[in-house]
Amino acid sequence: MFRFSKPLFVFALFSASTVALAVDKYDGVGRAATPAEVKAWDIDVRPDFKGLPKGSGSVDRGQELFEEKCASCHGSFGESNEVFTPLAGGTTKDDIKTGRVKGLSSGELPQRTTFTKVATISTVFDYIQRAMPWTAPKSLKPDDVYAILAYLLNLQEIVPGDFTLSDKNIADVQKLLPNRNGMTTDHGMWPGAPASKGGIGNGGKPDTANKACMKNCKPDVLIGSTLPEYARTAHGELRDQNRSFGAVRGTQTLGPEAAKKAADAGTLELATKSGCMACHGMKSKIVGPGYNEVVARYKDQPDAESRLVAKVKAGGQGVWGSIPMPPNGHIKDEDISTLVKWILSGSK
Amino acid sequence: MGNPMKIRAANKDGVTEVKVLVSHEMETGQRKDSAGAIVPAWFITELVAKHGDKVVLTSEFGPSVSKNPYLAFKFKGGAKGDKITVSWKDNKGDSRTDEAAIN
Repeated sequence: MFRFSKPLFVFALFSASTVALAVDKYDGVGRAATPAEVKAWDIDVRPDFKGLPKGSGSVDRGQELFEEKCASCHGSFGESNEVFTPLAGGTTKDDIKTGRVKGLSSGELPQRTTFTKVATISTVFDYIQRAMPWTAPKSLKPDDVYAILAYLLNLQEIVPGDFTLSDKNIADVQKLLPNRNGMTTDHGMWPGAPASKGGIGNGGKPDTANKACMKNCKPDVLIGSTLPEYARTAHGELRDQNRSFGAVRGTQTLGPEAAKKAADAGTLELATKSGCMACHGMKSKIVGPGYNEVVARYKDQPDAESRLVAKVKAGGQGVWGSIPMPPNGHIKDEDISTLVKWILSGSK
Repeated sequence: MGNPMKIRAANKDGVTEVKVLVSHEMETGQRKDSAGAIVPAWFITELVAKHGDKVVLTSEFGPSVSKNPYLAFKFKGGAKGDKITVSWKDNKGDSRTDEAAIN
């Protein structure tokens, strides 16, 4: 309802000022934008300064505004690298003369900043006006934007501290921009005709060659390296770690035997971590009995597991000699159970 | 002589916050140029800030401080219009002093 009733209403109000362009083709759908709407949308400032609003702002005023609205993210001197890359810095007096920032090509620049890169001052004006402050875009009046831009230009040592930037002198500032000659248009990023024919771009030729092959290409694919045998199990069973859907399966790294070995290795680690291995050897007596001795004694006793779990937990003395085994209340019950099962099954 | 420092000082509720952007190469003496020769060390060794004639900050800089270092500190006192003076010395014997008024 909204789409169809509203245009009629607006047409009635603005019929004198509305230009009905090409709406005939979409009879009953939409309406031409009103000049006021176009004006509200059309805020861009172009390199030839088309769209630049009238106004002016001084460096001093810009400093106040910058401190109030910009410095929390950009730093008082536009130097901050915390939230965004720095705004100012990185250019020399020579760059202002040549119009090409030397640090960009010589590699001397530790960090690129806005002013080492930007080639048109209108872009900076446009961006501040359109997008800044981050939390309240389009809230700055043209005079504020001029002032902030003047402050930035002063930080960059392009204009002196008593400078006032305005729509009258912004074109002169453009001629001082450090990287003003840094923009190239002779590539496919630009849609127009080649520069020799007065356009911008290279006539729409892509920048990549897109040749199927260079030369001496190999006819067969040879696998250059594979996971060495000893490293295959380093991360357990890769097949189980892959996602369970889709075409690609992880390679099976463990056979059934290797899988048990890996699980045992995990238990040995658990035993070491739990402190068992300090007193018990796998195959020999250290302070307490070796696991092989434990297995030999408790063989053929069906309740061995539950008895041993209780013994490990509570500690004990006398079965294997006078040296006591300390209680192990700090180890989780399920871990003790795992360890006892592992010991009784041969702890391999 | 070095390039000028940028100094901002603002007083709020009896506390003055001073922000300084120093312009200095701060070469560590560890870097090598493309020919493999060591770039000689060149860094600020000492930086002093004064409020009027009173020293409010002394600091020892060294090779680990970045190029064009940024420094911010606060001190109690100061009034609008008072003069803040910041000066540094570097290991080549160069020095520079700049001043700004508190606002």
